[in-house]
Amino acid sequence: MSPTPALEIRGLSKTFPGQRALTEVDLQLRPGELRALVGQNGCGKSTLIKVLAGYHEPDPGVDVFVDGERLHLGTAGAGDAAGLRFVHQDLGLVPTLDTCDNLAMGHGYERNRLGLISWRKEQRLARETLTGLGYDFDVRQPTGHLVISQRTAIALARALSPRATPARVLVLDEPTANLPATEIERLFDVVRSVRDRGVAVLFVSHHLDEVFRLCDTVTVLRDGRHIVTRPVEGLDEDALIALMIGRTLEQFAVPVEGAGQHGEPALEAHDLCTDVLAGVDLDVRPGEIVGVAGITGSGREEIALALFGGIPRTGVVTVDGRRVEEHRPDKAVDAGLALVPAERHANAAFLESTLRENVSIVNPGDFLRRGLLNRRREVSEVTTWLQKLKVRPPQPERHLGTLSGGNQQKVMLARWLRQQPKVLVLDEPTQGVDVGAKADIHLLVEEAAAAGAAVVVVSTDHSELTRLAERVVVLRNGRIADVLRRPHIDPDRITAATIGQGSQSKGAAA
Amino acid sequence: MNPPAGTTGGSRSSSEGASTAPGAAPSSEPVIVPTPGSNLHPSPAEVANPVVEADLATTPETPPGEEKGRRFSLGMDRFSGLYVWAALIVVFAIWVPDTFLRLNNVTIIAGNEAITAMLALGIIIPLAAGVFDLSFAGVAGVSVAVTAWGQVNGYSPFIAALMALVVATIVGALNGFVVVQLKVNSFIATLGMSSLLVAAEYFITDGKQIVEGFSEGFLTLGNTQILGIPLPFYAMLILAAVIYVVIEYLPIGRYLYASGGNPVAARLAGVRVDRVVYGSLVASSLVAGITGVVLAARIGTASPDIGPSYLLPAFSAVFLGSTQIKPGRVNVVGTLIAIYLLATGVKGLQLAGAPTYTKDLFNGLALIIAVALAARSARKA
Repeated sequence: MSPTPALEIRGLSKTFPGQRALTEVDLQLRPGELRALVGQNGCGKSTLIKVLAGYHEPDPGVDVFVDGERLHLGTAGAGDAAGLRFVHQDLGLVPTLDTCDNLAMGHGYERNRLGLISWRKEQRLARETLTGLGYDFDVRQPTGHLVISQRTAIALARALSPRATPARVLVLDEPTANLPATEIERLFDVVRSVRDRGVAVLFVSHHLDEVFRLCDTVTVLRDGRHIVTRPVEGLDEDALIALMIGRTLEQFAVPVEGAGQHGEPALEAHDLCTDVLAGVDLDVRPGEIVGVAGITGSGREEIALALFGGIPRTGVVTVDGRRVEEHRPDKAVDAGLALVPAERHANAAFLESTLRENVSIVNPGDFLRRGLLNRRREVSEVTTWLQKLKVRPPQPERHLGTLSGGNQQKVMLARWLRQQPKVLVLDEPTQGVDVGAKADIHLLVEEAAAAGAAVVVVSTDHSELTRLAERVVVLRNGRIADVLRRPHIDPDRITAATIGQGSQSKGAAA
Repeated sequence: MNPPAGTTGGSRSSSEGASTAPGAAPSSEPVIVPTPGSNLHPSPAEVANPVVEADLATTPETPPGEEKGRRFSLGMDRFSGLYVWAALIVVFAIWVPDTFLRLNNVTIIAGNEAITAMLALGIIIPLAAGVFDLSFAGVAGVSVAVTAWGQVNGYSPFIAALMALVVATIVGALNGFVVVQLKVNSFIATLGMSSLLVAAEYFITDGKQIVEGFSEGFLTLGNTQILGIPLPFYAMLILAAVIYVVIEYLPIGRYLYASGGNPVAARLAGVRVDRVVYGSLVASSLVAGITGVVLAARIGTASPDIGPSYLLPAFSAVFLGSTQIKPGRVNVVGTLIAIYLLATGVKGLQLAGAPTYTKDLFNGLALIIAVALAARSARKA
């Protein structure tokens, strides 16, 4: 029999209120094994990692062994002490501190004889560690100033840095999500060298081509269950996708049709570029709802803001044929663009202002009468909108922060629907919204389209896109990789397209 | 070192839970330099808010009257300053009836506080927009100096005053440039500017007091009384009315509070946040310039140390005022209440024989206690 497993999990379940995230998952990793962990959004990958990291407490009845030693999950630090190491997707670095400080968060500082921190030793150690990984840069720079690949290296170095126990299992959660293609191979070399030291590696990625390039074995999770663990050899992307979504897909190379819609496009974007987007063309006609899908780092997060001019962009965006100035949201509003951005609290909500102020912040001048804002007129119009959108409670003088997430989102929508925009761009419109409000919001979006707005819905919720969109544009690596059209749209197809079925992503990443 | 975040972020009406802070929510990370505009995330108080899902779903239509009634019941919170003020008057009326209950106390308090009030009104504007202006006191000082210098050098009072206003506007524009274009934190930028202004004041006055050379008519104007109250008080009232209308009844007021409340969201709603911030700094400087002219007319001297003494009282008044009328939001009426409440208390104590330092003691305690109470009621909500 093979040596003691580096990590062995038996019967791991995790139940959240009203929802079971993981059901009786078993997992075994040999020392020196490079294992991929794949599955679609919501399959339980993140929960599994968070349980291992001690962030979530698992349901009782689980047995976990690290290098043969029983590990009690549910306390932060226990996994670390046993030799479980993590590089989380956000890396977990403090951007204002330098490399030494960030490394020291893992293992503490080097002291001199007086008990003071020996910066000389610290820096030498940091440099040595990074050189060992094949990186060489100024360790005294705040990590916020470093490029993403350097930061990834620091997070990796921290995970591998020597402590009381050596690293036995390294968990990499989407480590390539933001890396440029050239850096990915370098990272893979590091990962391979870690593997060669006898550390078991669990590699989580949405990029199936990376799985094939890097990993020896793969574990597929679906709906919180362990579906299969098998060698990567003998699998191809189609087969792996079929395992992930639970059924095979017929080929769906849908030809991009000519103008099937009526009328001239209300929104035209040509060669839209940002740091991530690399030349996207998009036309949306009045009354049309176009969905945009893509994994993290594909450009999906940027496209709505780029269209609106909220982030620096190049390329041409026109509304009804008139060019919209870049980086000027106010001009975009004037042109008839509306943006309901993702992450409401950060990007849209004035939580401590009233619903009235939240709705009328766009063009409050509409309520001027004889040069002054007419409160009564404003209240009555805002109330009308709140009622129309079924905001509960529809009280204009209530503060936004006292409403539930779904109702807050409706207020954000009211803000823009009041403008009767020509182009309505929605970024994750039902993020953190309860089921009832979600259905309401979907109806409102359809009504807006029926009223003649060109609508763009950017979402990671693929059933939402299926519900709303006549056409789904799939982004990969900053470009449009696929276009799905009704009746060939369903959540599984979208998922498959986002994670790079087909040759395009392989070619781009290589 | 973090007054606005502390004050404004903490002061919320207890029943409504959250209200727009001028300086925005308390920043969650430890900051050395206050960042009044960094309200990007829900503050703990908001998170703790009861989520109102459907408690009023049965009354889809809210008659305006009901809304008013609901808010009126919060009176203890929003109008607590008025009650405290009334209580102070009653206490001192009983304590020192002979000296306190005199009409000239009213006129003295009204007149004396006019300058502080004008300056406080001015800084409401940048604070609403989420930036500090620490240089306003320096601007007022320089404005006094320029007004004096101009008249000493033979210009008419009108021209001298105009020169002062031009200088004030330029200082405001410089502040705006440093904060908006150079992206220097407003606290630091205007702190630096106030030091420059002290230097400028010394330069203009040559380090000496200017007591002679003021035009007679100018000084008469500063000390004319209507109904026994000096003219500066009426200048303050006019200024208050103007700023009140601008903030409450013009779109720019909405843009100010939006920029201060959540600059990212404001920008994505089409608000030109940079311009708003720039303009707010120019406005507060201009108001400080006007105040300097009024001050020059009232005291008839220019000395290099005039101005800075108004810094803390004006800020205290605005922050104390942000617990009133519109809790959590710097506002005009709250600021005026705060100023006259404090002045009444100080006057009463002085008449009761309290020592000179009572003024600072009373002002400081009132500010800390009021804001702490507001923060507590926000937590309970």
